[in-house]
Formats: sequence, C-alpha cells, structure tokens
Amino acid sequence: MTTDIERVTGTALDRVEGRDKVTGLARYAYEYPADDIAYVVPVPAAIARGTITGIDPGDALAVPGVLTVLSFRNAPPLAGNDPELRIFSSDRVSYRGQMVAAVVADTLEAAAEAARLVHVGYDAEPHDVLLRPDHPEAYVPEKVNPSFPAVSEQGDVEAALGDAAVTVDTTYTTPAYHNNAMEPHATLAVWSGDRLTAYDSNQGSSTARDMLAAAFGLEPGQVRVVSPHVGGGFGSKGTPRPQIVLAALAARAVGRPAKVALTRQHMFAVTGYRTPSIQRVRLGADASGRMTALAHEVEEQTSTLKEFAEQTAVPSRMMYAAPNRLTTHRVVALDVATPSWMRAPGECPGMYALESAMDELAVACGLDPIELRVRNEPEEDPESGLPWSSRNVVACLREGAAWFGWAGRDPAPGVRRDGRWLVGTGVAASTYPARRRPSEATARATADGRFTVRIAAADIGTGSRTALTQIAADALGVPPERVDVRIGDSALPTASLAGGSMGTASWGSAVAMACVRLRERLDGAGGEVPEDGIEARYDTADDIKADAAYARHAFGAQFAEVRVDPGTGEIRVPRLLGVFAAGRIINAKTARSQFIGGMTMGLAMALLEESVPDAEFGGFLNHDLAQYHVPANADVANIDARWIEEDDPHLNPMGSKGIGEIGIVGTAAAIGNAVHHATGVRFRDLPIRPDRVLDRAPQIGGRNL
Amino acid sequence: MRFLRPHTWAEALGAKAEFPDALPLMGGTDVMVDVNFGRARPNALLDLTAIPELRTWAPDGDALRVGAGVTYARLVSELADRLPALAAASRTVGSPQIRNRGTAGGNLGSASPAGDAHPPLLAGGAEVELESVRGARRVAVEEFFAGPKRSVLEPDELIAGFRARPATGPQYFAKVGTRNAMVIAVCSFALALRPGEGVGTGIGSAGPTPLRAYAAEEFLAGELADRWEKRDALPGPVIGEFAELVAGAARPIDDVRGTADYRAHVLRVLARRTLTWAWADHCEGGAGCA
Repeated sequence: MTTDIERVTGTALDRVEGRDKVTGLARYAYEYPADDIAYVVPVPAAIARGTITGIDPGDALAVPGVLTVLSFRNAPPLAGNDPELRIFSSDRVSYRGQMVAAVVADTLEAAAEAARLVHVGYDAEPHDVLLRPDHPEAYVPEKVNPSFPAVSEQGDVEAALGDAAVTVDTTYTTPAYHNNAMEPHATLAVWSGDRLTAYDSNQGSSTARDMLAAAFGLEPGQVRVVSPHVGGGFGSKGTPRPQIVLAALAARAVGRPAKVALTRQHMFAVTGYRTPSIQRVRLGADASGRMTALAHEVEEQTSTLKEFAEQTAVPSRMMYAAPNRLTTHRVVALDVATPSWMRAPGECPGMYALESAMDELAVACGLDPIELRVRNEPEEDPESGLPWSSRNVVACLREGAAWFGWAGRDPAPGVRRDGRWLVGTGVAASTYPARRRPSEATARATADGRFTVRIAAADIGTGSRTALTQIAADALGVPPERVDVRIGDSALPTASLAGGSMGTASWGSAVAMACVRLRERLDGAGGEVPEDGIEARYDTADDIKADAAYARHAFGAQFAEVRVDPGTGEIRVPRLLGVFAAGRIINAKTARSQFIGGMTMGLAMALLEESVPDAEFGGFLNHDLAQYHVPANADVANIDARWIEEDDPHLNPMGSKGIGEIGIVGTAAAIGNAVHHATGVRFRDLPIRPDRVLDRAPQIGGRNL
Repeated sequence: MRFLRPHTWAEALGAKAEFPDALPLMGGTDVMVDVNFGRARPNALLDLTAIPELRTWAPDGDALRVGAGVTYARLVSELADRLPALAAASRTVGSPQIRNRGTAGGNLGSASPAGDAHPPLLAGGAEVELESVRGARRVAVEEFFAGPKRSVLEPDELIAGFRARPATGPQYFAKVGTRNAMVIAVCSFALALRPGEGVGTGIGSAGPTPLRAYAAEEFLAGELADRWEKRDALPGPVIGEFAELVAGAARPIDDVRGTADYRAHVLRVLARRTLTWAWADHCEGGAGCA
C-alpha cells in the first residue's frame, strides 16, 4: 500500500463505463437475452373511475401467437402494501390508463395487436381529476413525504403578519409534471422454479427485490434484480412500477421468460408524476427587511388508491429566520394515478414559491434580493434548533453575484430594452437535504493486485459508479484503474436507493469504510494478499444514527438573465449560473453535469413543462414528448455551474453532500424573478407560457412592437 | 400489412393504382409515428425511397421543379438562394436527423395545417404535381388542401413534386413555437415580395388548412404598386392594416399548443415583422433581390 498517491476524489475522472455506453456494449434491462421470451403488452383503462363489467379476450386470443390474456378474472392475487403494484386485483378502475389487462404473446407485434382487441366493458362513474383551490374534499394528511408532519407552527403568524411593516400575500401554482427518463420502464422476468430473476430498470435493486418478494410471497433470497445500467429515473424508478410485477406475473402464467417495456404514452399514466400545487405564501417583515412571519400553505393532489402527499412547504421550515411560522399541507384524493417522487420532491415546487415570494418581499422592502436573504439568515435550523453541519448560502449568493455581474443592477422593473426584447435578471436561493441511508459494502483484494468493491448501488446516469470508484481508490490508496466497482444487482450487499440525492453519500460511506477496514486487514497481514484474496465488509447503519445531531443541507444560488418579446410573449434565457455549496465534490465532470442538468430542468419548469389533465376523460392530454416539452439544445444558451468547496466534518467519510437534485431547486424562481425584472409583471402560474405573457401584455410596455 | 417498394416512378404509379389504400412513405417522419402510435393502420405501405427521380430538382422554364423526395436538409443546403422562405422554414423542422429524412413532398402528403413547408409554398405561389396511371396534373398549393390532414389527392395519385418560381424579391418565414427547436408551430407565417408584381402570403397552424391571406395580399400589392421603384419607407398604418388583414384571414382554434386569441395576435406580430424586414431588404436592394 502506498499513501503518497494523489487523491482522485475531486478530479474529473471520465465515466468508468463511458466507453461501454457510447459503443452500445452497456446492456439495459430490455436488451437482456433469454430463451423463448414471451412479450407482454398491457391494456390501459379507458375510463377514469368506475367498474369493469366484462373482459372479452376472444378476439385477442384469436391473434396468432397470443398465449394468454391476464386480468382480474384470472390473475393470481398479489400481496405487498402498494395498491399501484397489486395489478389485476379487482374490478375497480381508479384512473385512466391504469393497467386493466395484459396480453402475453410470442412476439411483441402479436401482443400489441391483441392488446387492441381486448374488449373491456366499463360501468363508468363521474370522475374528478382537477385540483382546484378550496376543494371541498381537501384534508390535512397525517404526514407528508416521506414522514414529515403535515403542519408546523411556531409563534403566532397571524398576529405577526398583522403587525408587520411590510407584507407579501401571494399565491403560486405549478402544474403536474412527468419524470420522463430517456429509458422507458422495462423488465425481463425469468422464473426458475420458485426463484425469480428480474432484469429491470430501477433506482435501487435491493428495494425492487424486496418489493417483488413481498408481492409474490417469497423470501428476499429467492429474488434477484439485475440493473447494471439505467437510463435515467428522476424519481420515477425509485418506487418500483407495475411493469416489473406484470413481467413476473406474465412469466409465471406462461412458464416462459417475459419482457415488458412501457410505451412513452403509457409511462404518463403508470410511472408517477409530480402533483400540481397551489401555494399561498405570506411573508411579514420589519422596515429593514427582517422577517417576522412566514406562512406557506399548500394544496395538492393524491389518488384514491393510496396517499402520497408531497412535502412542498417543508423547505420553508428551515430556509429563513422568522420567529412566527406556519406551514401546512392539504391534499385531495382525485381520480388520478398516485403522484410520486419527481426531481427534488418538496424542495423543487416549494422553493419556487418561497423564492418567488422572497423576490416580491425584496421589491416591497426596496431591498436588493440578495441583501434581503442575507438579512434573514438563520443561525441554526429554525425548526429543530440544531446547528447546521455547514451552511454557505450567503457565500453562494455573494460569489455568484460577483461571477454573474450582479453589482450595479438597476432594480427598476420593465425598463431595459435590447431591440424588441425586454431584458431582466433574477436570483433565487437553493437548498436540498444532505441525508444518508444505511448501506452495506464489501471490498476485496486479490493476489493480482486488484480490488473489487461490491454494493447494490445504482447508476441511473449520474456517474455514481465512477464516483464510487474514486472513493474506493482514495480509501485504498491505489489508482482507480486497480479498482472494480460492482453495482446494480440485488445479489450484492444491500444498498439504499438512488434517490433523495442520498446515493453517493450513503453508498460512498459504506464503500469508504469497507476499504478502510480492508486496508487494516491487509496491514495486519503484513501487506501481503493471501492467494485466495482478503475481504472486508461494512454496514453504516450505526454510523448514520449520529447524523441526527446536525441539520444537514446543501445550499446554492441561482442567477438568470431573461429576454422577453412583448409582441409574441416568447421568453429566452441567454444566461443561467448556479453556485452550489455541497461539501466536497467527488467528480468535477459528472458533478457539473448533474448541476447543469438540474438547472436545465428548472428552466423547463419555468417555461415549458406542464402535464395537462384531461378533464373530460381523465389522464393527461399531452402524453408524449412531441407535446410535453423539455428544452432542446437551442433553449439552453450559456449555462454554468460553479461550486464553493466546503470542509464539513459532520457529513460522511467523503465530506460530500448530495448534488443530484439541488440543481433544479430555485432555478424556476430565478427565471420568474428575472421575467418580473424584465417586464414589471409578476407571473405566478407556471409555466410562463407565451400566451400567459400576452394575457398580461397591457401591463407590459410596448406590446405592439 | 403489405409493404411495397417500387424502384421506378412508373412502378410506383402502378402500385398505387393497384393498391389505392396504400399509404405512401418517404421520410417516415409522420407516417411511422402514426403507425407506431396506432393512429394509422394501413393495409399497405408504399415505400417511395428507392425511386431516384423523386430525389432530384432542376430548373424547368422560369420555375424550379423539386422532386417530392428532396429532404429539408437539401432544401437548406441547395436551394436557400432560390427558395429562401422554404429554406428558412426547413431550418425550423425537427432536429437534424428529421431534416435528413423529412421532405416537403411528405409534408404536403400529410397536409397538416401545421406543416412548416406549407406557408412558404403558399407565399411563393407553388404548384403541386400530382400523377397517377391516368395522367399528371398540377394543382395550386392553396387548392391542394381540403381540410385538416386532407388534400385533393385522388386514391390512385402520388405527389411527384412541386414547382415554384425562384424568388424575385425578399422572402421571410417566421414561426412561433413553445421552444426554440424540435417544435410544432403554434403559428407561422411566410411572406414573399415580388417587386413590380405583387405579394404572396402563407399562414400555418391557424386554421383547418394552411391559408393564404388574400385580402392582405391584394391590399399590400395595391399599396406597393407605386412604391417598388421609390423604395421609401412604408407608412405605419400600411403595415398595421396588412397585419390586421393577415390576422383576419386566420381561422384559429384553441388547443394544447396555444389559444385562438394568442394565434391571431401573434400572426399580426409576425406579419408586421416579416413585412418590415422584407421591405427593408427591398429598399436596400438587399439579399432577397438576387
């Protein structure tokens, strides 16, 4: 062992599987081979609420090559606690697009053709798919995702608002959004006796294994989930989705391996989405801009199948100092699919509202929006009273201001012109929790001088395999070329999900400590690797209990320049800058990709993305990528991400905070604030579409340019 | 499903006569999407990509004859000087991959009101060449569209190509979409000035078919009649009236991409802008007057 090797953590190491990916060698779920595969195509419900009165599979079964048609009539009951995954368990339809049947056939073509010919009779009931303010059925849930109280209250917010020198009382709305990973949800299921193997696209093979075992009444040891490469998830593959259950069900029904890949359109129905939100934010401040009251009240939707309440107001519990505070969530169960995790649940929509309201407060106080935020820095976590493990939002704002050229900004809105364009700039703060979950890893030295690290981690495109290679190399004190990291397989030591920006912190802790233990064992063996190798194992469950002693969050600042065409309402974003304080950055290249990818999603949230509910028939109207718009290259001009190195000893062995989601947090607010600076008009409903800009055109100078 | 792949134009016409319900396939950028989504379930596909003559263009008298298989990418790289508005529209179609596959002939075949090629073909006074075993005919583009995604194409006919005169003056195409690329037009507008002769217009995505703004053309031609030579500034009210007449010619609806009000308003803006740009070019004896 040598210790004088330069640390590889922090460098821009190329993705270790990059060559495999660009040459097509990397195998994704649907590409796994098996003998005699049967293909499965699900039949989506055509109504939003009601009862199935009959399923006539006759015409489908007559298609050559069709093996069976599965539905609640013949499918065996499934166990498990997620009603979205207990497919074909009853004759009830809870949302349009819910799987009501599936065709299994020799070929994909036969299955697709036959799926069209399954005749499903319905007794439709009136449905309600639209979230609206003050819905009579709205209620306060017991908890919000994952386990926060739905309501928090400190002091007397109403009295403080009444006494405040300056107040803002404003309501923002965000629409539903779909995760839309590049790789559709797909599974190949193979039974061997009572053992099940699933090649599957997911954000955590251990989690998927446990779910499958529960659904089919098996021991976890009877199930293996293999997912070495995953083409994105953005939360939608964190909770297993019905295609994995369907593949296993179909494979068992026909006694052959079975493959399912969801279509893009069906993904809009059954793979989760972000709830729309209606958010009222009230802020009260004294004349100097110091907040005395902060109220953030959220209405959002869940389904009739199971409750999922996004923690939208939760960031308002920790972001700013205010002695009087109220945060509430109310949900209404509609005839819709269950909303779920998507790209920074809670922080993303909640910080849009809070950071937009902060901009309104800055205008009301006549303060620079950066200065307003500096004046409301909390010394400690306002909710728990815990000390911050580190908190550098002010540094992000100040450094960002210098890099962006914020100094000397004229705060007057609606006065800068460049030809036909109105020009403005905006800023917003950003935050995301820095959590860990228990994970296990092994590290093994072999006599050939190489090291193998095993953990059921997931690389959903983020670069985690590469980051873990760097962490292991530094912990072992060897160059990364000598380290093989094996992930994406539930047969490996159990690991937490790729989700909540927790992956690298959770897995990296286990990997680093397993490698440290291995070094100790190697040192104990005099540095000699025995012929049959030497191994160490580490479980972080106990270490993580100590995390509760600090409030642990990453922070950032987002800066945007926008140009608004008052004639057409079009908005361009020539510049975006994000500055982040997220502990130690493990890989400079993949980290930058994570940040600017998240910021691009934030730009999409501000201007483009919107799942339009179909009030008449249920489901969503724009359920494909021709109509659900994410940014094209031409929409993202100059985008830059920078970071401030933090030395935070309270985090984990790497000193890192998660960076997967903070990039999206605050971006939409920064753009919305810049649109206000450009036009003088505050748009409080996302996305800021051209027609919405034109609706307010009489308030914008120079409409008829 | 039958798959027909003729290698000559004569074979193609024969196949279409024999299988009138065969769906012609060129770039596949509309047809294959419809097939994959289950919106089109043709009994036969007639693949026209193996017919070399469809991929050619050539001058023919005072016009250009462009085969139905010339891609958007080639309209940009080979014909931008002679058909500038069509080339400008072609640049806004899809992604580079789509522009390498898709064709203006296929755009006509789909006859979508949002087809990007249609407004410049309308403004440029193009004619569509239709042919069957019964013979060939030419139809003015504005006569070609019969309704949303419907045309006057007979069941046994194929689109051979289109004919258009090279630009004699400035031409512009403007499109508003909800993002900067890879987007279906919320609405679009093309303008062609023909100095000494007249004016052509084309409206996209603001009616059941692509439309010409006849009254706007007539009005502007009258206003420009004695200005072509003078090349003086156009009075604001002339530009404003032209824009009103363009918007008045549209028959927009509300849909997921935009509202009718938004479309009418934006058409006004696009008409005003394209006229301002085109007239400035004319006054400078600019690039469009080659």
